[in-house]
Amino acid sequence: MTAVHQFVPALLPRDATGDHTLALRDALRSVGWESDIYVEAAHDELQHEAAYFEEYPSRAHPDDVLLYQLGTSSPVADFLLGRDESLVLDYHNVTPESFYAGWEEHTTAKVALARRQVAALAPRAVLGIADSAFNADELAALGCPATEVVPILVDLETGSDMVDRAERDRLAARHGDATVLLFVGRISPNKSHEDLVEALWVYRRLYDPSARLHLVGPTVTPDYAAAVFAFADELGVGDAVVHGEGLTAGELAAWYEDADVFVCLSRHEGFCIPLLEAMRAGTPIVALDAGAVGETLADAGLLLPTARPATVAAAVDRVHRDQELAERLVASGHRRLGDFAPARTRARFVEVLGRVAGADRVVA
Amino acid sequence: MPTSSPTPSSLTPDAPVPDGGAAADTAARVRYLDEVMAEIDAEVRRRRASGDLPAGLEAELDELFLEFSPVGLQGRARLRETLSLVDGSAYVDIAVPTASNKAVGSYVKRLIRKGLGWYMNFVVAQIVKFAWSVSRMFHVVVDHIEDLEAAVETHRSPDLPADTVPVAGPGPAWWAAAAVEALRDVHDRVLVADCGDGALLDTLAAAGVDAYGVDPSDLVLEPALARGLDVRAEGIVAHLDVVAAEALGGVVLTGSLQWLRPNERERLLDLAASRLAVGGTLVLHSTTPEGWAASVTPVVRDLAPGRPLHAETWAHLLGSHGFAVAQPVRGGADHTLAHVGADASDAATVNAAIDALNDLLLGPTEYLVVATRER
Repeated sequence: MTAVHQFVPALLPRDATGDHTLALRDALRSVGWESDIYVEAAHDELQHEAAYFEEYPSRAHPDDVLLYQLGTSSPVADFLLGRDESLVLDYHNVTPESFYAGWEEHTTAKVALARRQVAALAPRAVLGIADSAFNADELAALGCPATEVVPILVDLETGSDMVDRAERDRLAARHGDATVLLFVGRISPNKSHEDLVEALWVYRRLYDPSARLHLVGPTVTPDYAAAVFAFADELGVGDAVVHGEGLTAGELAAWYEDADVFVCLSRHEGFCIPLLEAMRAGTPIVALDAGAVGETLADAGLLLPTARPATVAAAVDRVHRDQELAERLVASGHRRLGDFAPARTRARFVEVLGRVAGADRVVA
Repeated sequence: MPTSSPTPSSLTPDAPVPDGGAAADTAARVRYLDEVMAEIDAEVRRRRASGDLPAGLEAELDELFLEFSPVGLQGRARLRETLSLVDGSAYVDIAVPTASNKAVGSYVKRLIRKGLGWYMNFVVAQIVKFAWSVSRMFHVVVDHIEDLEAAVETHRSPDLPADTVPVAGPGPAWWAAAAVEALRDVHDRVLVADCGDGALLDTLAAAGVDAYGVDPSDLVLEPALARGLDVRAEGIVAHLDVVAAEALGGVVLTGSLQWLRPNERERLLDLAASRLAVGGTLVLHSTTPEGWAASVTPVVRDLAPGRPLHAETWAHLLGSHGFAVAQPVRGGADHTLAHVGADASDAATVNAAIDALNDLLLGPTEYLVVATRER
C-alpha cells in the first residue's frame, strides 16, 4: 500500500503548519494511502494524532515516502538525513538569520541552523514541494533536484460566518470613525512593524489624525516588539497602536472585519496566509512587493514597490477613500481565494506525491 | 482635519469591472492597478514638493527607530554603551516579586522567598561574582581597543589643502543615461552617494526611480534642498552604517569613492553589499587613475589618502563581495591622440608609439561599472 508519512518538528493546534499537516494527513488517507504523523513535540491537544519521530524505524517500510514539513530547525532534520526512504520536503520557508541579527541571538542561531538543515536536506530529497515559487526557487538554488509549487492547505471556506460580533462592536466603539490599518503576523523583524508605525505616523499627519494601527500576532522577538512600541510612543502614536494577541478565530475575524485596510510591509514572506484571511474577510489589501507576497496576492491588492511611509500612507488613503478601487480589490480577492481552495490543493498534493510514491490512485 | 488628495477622477471611468478569469479582464485589472499606482506616486511627489513631507523626514524616522534597536544595530557597535548594559545586567536581584492576585498567594510567595533566601543567596553570590569577572574582562578589552584606535588615528594621512578637496560637480554628464538605464527597473529605494546638487536624483525621479541622496557637503546640497529633493548632509559610509540590511534596491557610488583609504574602501564595499537587497544594482562611476593623475596638482597627487582604481580592479573587488559585474562603460573627456597621416614621415612608427601612449596613459578618463548583488 502507498504510504506517505509526515514528519514535523512541532504539531500545534491553531497553527498554520499544524493545520496543514493534519489536513494533508486526512487527504492522503482519504485516497486509501497510509499516512501517519511523526513529531519532535506535539501539543497536549494533539498528542493522540502523532508519534515521536524516533518511533518511526520500528514501523518503517522501504517503499515509504517521508514528507518533511520544513519551517524551522529540528533534530528531525538530522534524523531524516540518515534515512534511506524517499524524502520529500514540504518547504514553508525559513526567515534568513540576517533579519534577527542583533535582536535575538538565540533566534539568529536557530534560524541559521534551520537554513543549514534546508541546505543539507535539499539535495538529498527526491522532490521539494513549496507553497510559492519564491520558496521553490530557494530549494532549487540549494540543489533540490525537482520542485513543485503547491499552496499550503488552509481552510478558507469555513469561518467567514464566525465573526465575534461582540468583539467587533467593542473595537468599533473604541475607535469610532478613525481609519483602521491592520496587520496580522508574529511580531518579528522580518515583518517590519516599524515601517507600519512610520506609515501610520505619516498617514495621521497627512490624511487622518485619528487613524489607528491594529497589530495582531504573537510576540516572538520581545526586544523587537519592545522597540516597535517604544518607537510608536516616541512618535506620539503609542495610543493609536493596538496589539491583539491570543485571539480566538472569531475574534480574529472581527479584527479583520473591523479594519479599513490590511497593510503588509513584510520584507520576507514565504507565502503569507494573512493575505488570504484578509481576502476572505473582504478587507482591501495594500502590501509591499517582497518575498512571495506578490505571487500570493496577484492582483487582489495594491502591491507597493517600496515601504516608504509616504507611499504607504498615500496608498492606504487611496484605498480608503476610493470606494470603487476598494470594491475591485475585494472582488479580486474573492476570485484569488478560489486558487487556494482546499479541494484543489488536496488534489494537487495527491497528484504530486502519487508520482513520487508510484501510486496510480488519484483523488476522486 | 484630514486633508484630501486629488480625487481619482482621472482614472479611466469606463474601465471594465473584472468579472471573470479571462485574460482580457486580467489585463484590464492590471492596467487599472498600474494607473492607480501612478496616481499614488504622483500624490507622494506632490506632497513632497508642497512641503507636507520635508526632505529627509522619512530617513529621520528610520534613524529614530534605530535608537530603540539593540546597540549593535546602530552602525558601529558602541562599546562603552554595550558595556554599560553588561554592567547593568550583571546584578542579580534575589528579592523575587511576591505580588499576587489572590491574598493568600502573596503570603505563600513571601513564605517561599523567606524559606529559600539562604539557598538563593549562596547561588546568586556566585553568579554575580562570575558576571562581574566577565564584565571586568570586557572593560580591559575595551580600554585596549580604545588605545589601539587612538594609535591608529595618529597614523592618518595629512589633510589636503582645502581648495583641492573634490566636491561633486553640477551633475553627471555622459554616464547619467547609463545609470538610469541600469536602475530603471529597481523597485526599492536607490541611494545616490555624493549627490551634489541632485541632478542625477532629478533624472532618476523622471524615470520613475525612488531615489534619495547623501553628500558630506551642506553647501553643495543647497540647490537640491531648495527643490525639495530627499537629500541629507552625510558621508556615504556614515549613512550606510545606519541603513537596515537589504533595504536598498540600488546604490550609486561616485565622487569621494575615488579618494577613500583602502580600509575605508573595503568598509564601503561591505556596507554597500549588505545594504543592497539580493538582486539589487550597484552603479559605480570613477575617473581612471591616469585621468586623475593628469587632472590634479602634485600636492594632491602626493597627499591624497587614496587614488582612483582601474575599472578592472573595481570589477575584481565587487566580484569578491558577491556581485556580478557587467562590462565597464568608458567615457568622459577623451585624451586619445589621433594618428598622424599616412603620408607623414615614419607614420607607422609614430602611430605605433601613439597607440602605446593611448593604451598606457590616455583614452577616456572616466568609466562606469554596473554590478548586481548575487548573494
